[in-house]
Amino acid sequence: MSETKELMVRDLKKWFRSPAWLFASLVQPILWLVLFGNAFNPTSMIPSFPGSEGVKTQILQSTFGGAPNYITFLAAGMLCFLVVTWAMWAGGPLVTDRSLGYLNKLLVAPISRTAITFSLLLSSILKGIVLSAILLVVALLLPGGLVFGGGFGAMDLLGVFAALTLLSVGFLWLFMMLSVRARRFETLAAIGSTLGLPLLFASSALLPVASMPGWLAAVAQVNPISKAADIIRYLIIQGSLGGAALSSVASDFAYLGAFAAICTILGIIMSNRGLRME
Amino acid sequence: MSKVIEARGLTKVYPPSTKAVDGVSFTVDEGEIFGFLGPNGAGKTTTIKMLTTLASISEGSCEVAGYDVKTKQGEVRMCIGLVPQDAATDGDLTGMENLILSAKLYKVPDAIASRRANELLDLVGLKDSANRLARTYSGGMKKRLELITGLIHEPRILFLDEPTLGLDIQTRVAMWDYINGINRDSKVTIFLTTHYLEEADSLCRRVAIIDHGQIKALDSPSTLKASLGGDLLEIQLPEGPDISAKLSLMEGVCEVRRRGNVYSLRTANIEKSLQAISVGLWKLGLKMEDARLVRPSLDQVFLNVTGRSIRDSMVDSGDVVVARARAESARN
Repeated sequence: MSETKELMVRDLKKWFRSPAWLFASLVQPILWLVLFGNAFNPTSMIPSFPGSEGVKTQILQSTFGGAPNYITFLAAGMLCFLVVTWAMWAGGPLVTDRSLGYLNKLLVAPISRTAITFSLLLSSILKGIVLSAILLVVALLLPGGLVFGGGFGAMDLLGVFAALTLLSVGFLWLFMMLSVRARRFETLAAIGSTLGLPLLFASSALLPVASMPGWLAAVAQVNPISKAADIIRYLIIQGSLGGAALSSVASDFAYLGAFAAICTILGIIMSNRGLRME
Repeated sequence: MSKVIEARGLTKVYPPSTKAVDGVSFTVDEGEIFGFLGPNGAGKTTTIKMLTTLASISEGSCEVAGYDVKTKQGEVRMCIGLVPQDAATDGDLTGMENLILSAKLYKVPDAIASRRANELLDLVGLKDSANRLARTYSGGMKKRLELITGLIHEPRILFLDEPTLGLDIQTRVAMWDYINGINRDSKVTIFLTTHYLEEADSLCRRVAIIDHGQIKALDSPSTLKASLGGDLLEIQLPEGPDISAKLSLMEGVCEVRRRGNVYSLRTANIEKSLQAISVGLWKLGLKMEDARLVRPSLDQVFLNVTGRSIRDSMVDSGDVVVARARAESARN
């Protein structure tokens, strides 16, 4: 266990010492929120006419889950996208260590093979939580930005981070399986950048599933990003849940939990296999 | 003397049928510096990988520090240190952080780790650079840091894979001093691979010459050189027909090799043969344009056991230039 912590600290140190990475990881989520939030804002597409305000409110109410504005709806999706993106790159140091030769140094040490992958996993989760918190604060400060529902409390905040963590654990292991096999960073970059945006668009992160054509809605409904986004949205907009909302959030949590568990089991088996002897 | 490595018929087959190491057997004594000498691709790194649990053993068996490498990997890992051929340190960490991280992976208690880290940094002259990021180090400093990170947990056996690859000559000689010093002071057994003849010659108590995955000769450098059976006289003659056959009949000449108009004559005793050779040549009406005595070197041993020069077998390698320059400066 202690070696996992040491290797995690190593990864976090490297993150802090790389100014470009650190800058990008702070600015990127903010840019997403500001740009997506304003460019895609569906309510701004409705022309002004007498009574148009009422139509906007109605659309927000019926299609956007009762969000007071689009950024409140979008914030949940952006939080999910943020942690999924981090999950994709979490295995990057492993690929670099392998190509530089440092991995051999780790593999001859008397440490468990899982310590190598677990440490990267934990450091990525930590980074994700820090960046998500920053994103939440920025969303709150934006003009016309995030508005928490009246009942929002500490438990709801905990729920938000729990959903984000489950989502990121699942994607972390999926991409870790790839990272232990990739011999070049380009492999990871190619797959990550190919999958990233499609995963985002085929989910309820940006727009409600109800507005999608059937085939896309079918994909979005099984996409774990949608489940996490829906949970976070419920918690943010409504807070202290009860009744139907509570059971819907509970079933989404169960879905995410199963996704994380299956990916973890597969991920541990596959990545230990990828790190075994030549 | 007790044996810390015992390899019997070690073989590594990479699928589908590449035999990187082919039935290698040897033992390493406690406390000695043992070298694997051979050209690139001879199977040196693969052997190290098998000995250090990085690669599985296809055939044969091996004990390291008394533990079977196939079944007791955890125990073997506790007893060994490895300095791989390429980066063994993290450039984004300082020299000190690299050492401490390595110590923690081997569960060295904190107080001991920091005392030892300071000692080791001092030993290789890196004390003043301890808190700089390793990526700002020069090539020689990096190699020294890599060397001591392999020692932080006081292993019984230290494996060095090409410890001076790519270093300039002065830096290489300085590394030899450090390696010798460490072996002398801490009594750690050192297993190293190299394709530099001078390195094997100046560091190793015993050398195994490896080529195409097989050990061609194994002994101390001096015994290997003595096995050549005498001195080598290189003479340059004017352009003309091959007179190897005539040369080999001269008194005391055991063997003749010819490259163009340069002949290498192996003689049991050069003092006795020199006169016979010069008289013989005078009778043939030939005059030596150049002559020199070549003292037996590991290069000749290599040539003798593999049939080619170690430098010729590495023409693709950029290091050949350095190796040649070094060999030439040593000869002149």
